[in-house]
Amino acid sequence: MTAMIVVWGVSVGHPSAQGKPRKQTAPETFSARLSVGAQEGRGDAYVTIRVDRYSAPKDIDLMEKALKEGGSAAFAVALKRAPIVGHIEAGNKSFSIRWAREKPSDTGRVISLVVDSPVYFVGGGVPGAKSREGFDTAVVQLTMDSSGLGEGRMAAAAKVKPGGATGVDIEAYDAEPVKLTSVKRQIS
Amino acid sequence: MPVRTLTAALIVAAVVAAPGAQSMTKPGAPESFRANGQILGVAGGAASAIHIQIDKYTSDADHRALADALKQGGNEAFVAALRKAPKIGSLKVGNRSVAIHWAREQAQGGGRRIAVATAEPVFFAGAGAVDAKPTAGYDVAVAEFTVDSTGLGKGSMAPAAKVKAGGPTGVEIEDYSGKKIELVTVSRNLPGK
Repeated sequence: MTAMIVVWGVSVGHPSAQGKPRKQTAPETFSARLSVGAQEGRGDAYVTIRVDRYSAPKDIDLMEKALKEGGSAAFAVALKRAPIVGHIEAGNKSFSIRWAREKPSDTGRVISLVVDSPVYFVGGGVPGAKSREGFDTAVVQLTMDSSGLGEGRMAAAAKVKPGGATGVDIEAYDAEPVKLTSVKRQIS
Repeated sequence: MPVRTLTAALIVAAVVAAPGAQSMTKPGAPESFRANGQILGVAGGAASAIHIQIDKYTSDADHRALADALKQGGNEAFVAALRKAPKIGSLKVGNRSVAIHWAREQAQGGGRRIAVATAEPVFFAGAGAVDAKPTAGYDVAVAEFTVDSTGLGKGSMAPAAKVKAGGPTGVEIEDYSGKKIELVTVSRNLPGK
């Protein structure tokens, strides 16, 4: 999940397009189709991602510090203490986003989100599936263009660990990658 | 706890098929079928390709032994007896293959109604949910389907189930998910396929 880690590790500056009429930022809502394919079959679901606001730098700093100093467990605790900044809704279930960042790109934005609980254990229904312990979060990355269309991916159950080039490594529980397709920013 | 009765499967399970009836339903085992399994939930759905290989059908004597085990000892005794029964086929989803220990066929109209059971679960539909219920006790899988004289049909499957004595026919099947997996476009493979 290199790209996701890069996004995670980059500090978000003020978008250069700030002040222009078509600037897109929170509060905002995205709809997406979530797909996972494996040899056993294929599953699809529709999700709604609502970002009320992007995380304040001080909250990000606290979570990053917890990760660096206390590892995955400390990060999970810090994440749960951070303010809720949005929700992911799938069917009749809602999950709280407590980490939300956006980074401008050449064609639009890259948005990274962390949920304070796992959303789903992909592959967890197979007899003898691996332990779920420590997979306490879910991580989403959206790559959006300037018109509000994009794609993304999700670690539906993830362990955030210190390490890697950026200092943050994400281990996904998922047996297969979870893709977000037809991502669309809703017009409010 | 929703209890889903696979009515057709129960009929097959409850009936000791007359030899004359089975002889009408050519072709019999060994034979194989492929099916597309579909399940729908609140947020979406899933689909998978399923392959069922039946080397032979369970004899009346073995079937009676299983029925007696269920009647006298409930699900636990039934599962134990099923595990002791000979392997007579396989049910494959993706690269996961599970042995079939019970298979029955019954003539119906111009075609057949077929039911199979494995002695272990194939998968727990919905168990990936964060608040999924425990999987313990759902030790078998049951599939049943009909095929017409050309070998085409449809059916349903409980990929992780408990078998209980009870209900109008004496047998009830409770599947883990509480949702029916539809077997659509069931087709009998041509010999050698």
